[in-house]
Amino acid sequence: MRELSLHILDIAENGITAGADCIHILVEEARTTDRLIIKITDNGQGMPTEKIKKLTAPFVSSLTTRRVGLGLALLAAAAERCDGRLTVKTGTGTGTEVGATFRYNHIDRAPMGDMASTITTLIIGNPQIDFVYTHIIDGEEFTLDTRELKAEMGNLSLTKPVVIYHLTASIRNSLGKLIAKNGQ
Amino acid sequence: MTVNDLVERFGLQVVAGNQGLDRQVEDGYCGDLLSEIMGNAPEGCAWLTIQGHQNIVAVAVLRNMAAIIVAGGQTLDDETQQKANQEGIPILLWPDSSYQLAGRLFSIGIGNARVQ
Repeated sequence: MRELSLHILDIAENGITAGADCIHILVEEARTTDRLIIKITDNGQGMPTEKIKKLTAPFVSSLTTRRVGLGLALLAAAAERCDGRLTVKTGTGTGTEVGATFRYNHIDRAPMGDMASTITTLIIGNPQIDFVYTHIIDGEEFTLDTRELKAEMGNLSLTKPVVIYHLTASIRNSLGKLIAKNGQ
Repeated sequence: MTVNDLVERFGLQVVAGNQGLDRQVEDGYCGDLLSEIMGNAPEGCAWLTIQGHQNIVAVAVLRNMAAIIVAGGQTLDDETQQKANQEGIPILLWPDSSYQLAGRLFSIGIGNARVQ
């Protein structure tokens, strides 16, 4: 995939398919130590551990072995190409945590992409699901928690166009500040 | 053949690096994995890729390329445009696939000297 945000969208959708009602998305850009970490955690039904090994092998696919498509295989390839790796922690009934690491400055590391649109796309498409998005750049942190937003907004729906518009702008603005704060 | 000749012939859209439009196009190359391009792209080539981030300019400078052609209807990041203007590397947009344009370039003689 051309951008990491598309991988994030894809893995988050796996969590939704697995029946999660809350998905945590963490992006950590540690430029000083040359690491980029992505972690997507869902509280869905999880997978039996014997399936994990098969998940990143692209050609073992069949509907019985693969519920989640090619997304994990592609993310694993993207991470390994950049001196990183993919980790999957899961078990039946325990949800799933997908982690991917990259060398931040590796020439083949795909750009982050548009995280603001990615998060709001998830929110619009899945109003019944909560998302907790944390983005850390060199130790400075930004968090968006739809549970808090919903509590603040009362009966105003998060998926209304005007709300989404402001949400997208607010995420962009916050990320811009994080980047500016740390130079570069 | 110059970069500008290609622009006119195939209706490419110039989005950065205007000052380099008189560069000679000696060869062509296709690919999206930057490390591979960095190792193998020939000097003076027109490079067809779908990548749009600023590292493409760094790779083009390193290989002394004639131009970057961003194919597949993809667009550039803002920083890419700035960097290309600074470095004088022309970036051209092509709405169809790399394959479609590569075939056209080859048919007008770019990069086919090695075939016979």
